[in-house]
Amino acid sequence: MRIGLLTEGGYPYVGGEGGVWCDRLVRGLDRHEFDVYAFSTGQAQEDAGWLPLPPQVARVRTAPLWTAEEDGVVHGRRARRRFTEHYGELAAALCHAAEPGTAEKPGTAEADRFTNALHGLAELARDEGGLVAALRSEQAVRALERACRAPGARRTAREARVPDLLTVADHLERALRPLSLDWYEEDGLGAVDLCHAASGGIAVLPGLLARHFFGVPLLVTEYGVRLRTHYLTRPDASPAVRSLLAAFHGLLTADTYRAASYLVPGNAHARRWQERCGADRAKLRTIHPGLDATPFTRVGEDRPEGREKGAEREHAGPHTLVWIGRVEPAKDLVSLLHAFAEVRAAEPGTRLRIVGRPSGPEGEAYLGHCRALAAQLFPDEADGPHAVGRNPVTFEELGGPGAETTADVHAGGTVTVLSSVVEGFPVGLIEAMFCGRATVSTDVGAVVEVIGGTGLVVPPRNPRALAEACVSLLRDPERRARLGAAARARALELFSVEQNVAAFHALYLETVARTPVRRPVLDGAGDPQPFAAPAEAHVPGHWTGPTPRAVPTWAVETPEPVTETVR
Amino acid sequence: MTDLSELDRGAAPGAADPVKVLLHRHRELCERAVDPLEIAAGLEAHGITDRTAARFRHRDVFSLAEELYARVPRDADTVTDAPAAPDAPAPEGGRRSVIVLLLPLLPGALCAAALVALARTHGQTRLYAAAAGVVAVALALRAALRRGPLALPDGLASRSATGSWTCWLLAYAVLGDGLLRTALTGGPDGLPDGTTGGDWPLALAPLLALTLAVAPATWTAGLFLAHARRKLAVSRGLEDFAASVRPVLLGAVALFVGALAVLVALCAPLLDAGPVSPAVLALGALLFVARLLTVHGFTHAPRVILMLTATAHVLAPATVFAARLPGCAALGAPVEALTAAWGPTAVPVLTCGAGALILLVHAARTLARASAHLRPEQAR
Repeated sequence: MRIGLLTEGGYPYVGGEGGVWCDRLVRGLDRHEFDVYAFSTGQAQEDAGWLPLPPQVARVRTAPLWTAEEDGVVHGRRARRRFTEHYGELAAALCHAAEPGTAEKPGTAEADRFTNALHGLAELARDEGGLVAALRSEQAVRALERACRAPGARRTAREARVPDLLTVADHLERALRPLSLDWYEEDGLGAVDLCHAASGGIAVLPGLLARHFFGVPLLVTEYGVRLRTHYLTRPDASPAVRSLLAAFHGLLTADTYRAASYLVPGNAHARRWQERCGADRAKLRTIHPGLDATPFTRVGEDRPEGREKGAEREHAGPHTLVWIGRVEPAKDLVSLLHAFAEVRAAEPGTRLRIVGRPSGPEGEAYLGHCRALAAQLFPDEADGPHAVGRNPVTFEELGGPGAETTADVHAGGTVTVLSSVVEGFPVGLIEAMFCGRATVSTDVGAVVEVIGGTGLVVPPRNPRALAEACVSLLRDPERRARLGAAARARALELFSVEQNVAAFHALYLETVARTPVRRPVLDGAGDPQPFAAPAEAHVPGHWTGPTPRAVPTWAVETPEPVTETVR
Repeated sequence: MTDLSELDRGAAPGAADPVKVLLHRHRELCERAVDPLEIAAGLEAHGITDRTAARFRHRDVFSLAEELYARVPRDADTVTDAPAAPDAPAPEGGRRSVIVLLLPLLPGALCAAALVALARTHGQTRLYAAAAGVVAVALALRAALRRGPLALPDGLASRSATGSWTCWLLAYAVLGDGLLRTALTGGPDGLPDGTTGGDWPLALAPLLALTLAVAPATWTAGLFLAHARRKLAVSRGLEDFAASVRPVLLGAVALFVGALAVLVALCAPLLDAGPVSPAVLALGALLFVARLLTVHGFTHAPRVILMLTATAHVLAPATVFAARLPGCAALGAPVEALTAAWGPTAVPVLTCGAGALILLVHAARTLARASAHLRPEQAR
């Protein structure tokens, strides 16, 4: 099967968002071929280069979204008229769209109008060789103005002034750049069996067009909801701009959700947003992002043996609470410090390690604030009158002594704490689960979904509850061990790379199985040959060849380990 | 999952309406939101989850956001009226802005210095002085046009090859009239000697005036740009904007031509040249409008018009020379008639004037478009 992987600002660029996940997926599915169609988001990204690509990546085509050379395509009179017509339709759909997120579903009339306009523009771009100049032209702005002033347009749209119109036109030009690409050929996106968009938003556009032109099924993964990100990125624009752009992204998202064969949210939060934006529940398949469990295996496996050797804890040192993450106000370290004060009142001698580096200047300031608070709350203490004292709260950065990797940090801790007030998908929590640590976390974001019943959950901004949970775990090693083992088992089951890859593999097969064959292989007599195209592009050995049948693995006597460890 | 203790915790003590408290806390977010989803996204960014929403007796954040969206006062008048015109580009350091302001004066100053050097030297040295002067003025021009309102936006430099045609036009302004005059009387009998007299006289006044005019050109272009942006910020529709920008454009061009006329009038007596020729004004206007169009991204028309004008300039003396061939006397007739009627400057006046007019009409159409003023602002 040939899969067209559509990315925006991620794979195959080094350090791109979601790049690691895509890399693991591509490497994990080595029986399929991948064509990567990538948008880059900046010069810095292009300069940074690509990740090393495995051989199953047959081709990579990239296009910059951040700059567009004028292609010099001058449209004739008829093309101009077609452009004005379709662009006007698009603009009208934006101006008339019901406000997304209101109780009633987005008007299907507007959605159809939007889709048709998008397809019209795409066909025009394919016929004429490009739209960049047209999208930047005065015609586009005029069409937008007409649509905004038309009767029935929303109030915010009617109030659009010239600078607003220009901003919106400019944004639309950027957003519609994928239409002008030369990817929509028989040997381009037409040749893939399945389009997999690694994120929502603009990256999906080529997939939508491939579906329109060639009937290629589309699969969309959203680990973060692009529509939501969009709402948070443009806080300063005028109401007209925000309303029109929100309408554009809302309609694009609704169109994506309608056209996609399957939607893959990464967690329940993304799933709720997708349902809200009109996704059909039957199409939703939650696949949790996978984390590489290998670095945590040693620490995670170490646990049971240690317990057997000395239930009375072999490292008889004081208890240590561990917090790992990026230091920023949303992590609410202040609340953690206050909770720790209560923990120390109940369990003197407990230490707290805060490991992480601040993110941005805001994080720097917050870290300084937390340090000052820690120094105020907890005086330095020493073992005896002749020893040098130290603070029970330490602030460290990853890579320091005793904190080379997150696994090391978790290994040195008794309980891992998460005190955020805002959280997306808590990767740090999953790492702690892989390490088999008992955890106490606040009930934010996808925490409850991730932790299930394998850790303690307290309300956010509640230091006393946090402290009580920590103390109860610190006093009960049995429970700690039980919870840790359960957490590790849960993480290996749900959040390993293997489950992620296997789930996508199954979904690929399911998608293709439900799509009519587009290029039937004919036999000599001209009849279609069933099963001629195997799902896997590369199969080890010749499965149809005359070689002797391989003995299935289940028929060979091999001692099977009782518990399967994931490597 | 709404229990009473949970509910109490979400609300301020004594508040019968917990949502009201929330509304008060997130008033700004709710007032500027264009749809409920924006409120939902904002609330989530503040850490409000479905479980928090349950305390407000809502199923999820979305329905809570809908209630907030519905409850916030939202009259048509609350929309902020006419955002203040965007401030002029922030002045970046006093020293730098002074340099930027004075840089356009450099070509004129260098040109004047070169002319002084030319007047003081003779023979071989004079040739060197002329060469050095040309190089210095060219470099200064490049530097002056590299920044400021007459600078090309990034990515446009490669496609606007008007430099060579501009050189042709300038060369004609210096050499052309003399050549035409002497050609009509049977000359020239030798190369120009670098003076304003003799068989093939040079006209240096136009060159000096034009290089000096780089400064007013830059400043008027800056004025035009600033005015256009201000109009852009306050106009209600595209037609409004076009109608208000056209007079500004015409005013800017008139201002420039006026400044150029003053400069020419000042330069001509200094160089003991003849009366002020309108040819310089026409040429100056042509180059100014062409540059304005080019920096706004309209490169095609200026290139074509400059090319046509330069070609016409070359053709005029060429027809006169061609008329000397036997049987071709008719070729030179138009130019001869023109010169006989209005003197040799009639050729550049007519060609440059026509070119400038055409470009001006074009500019009045294209620069009145709002989209023309989009890119320089967003150049990054």
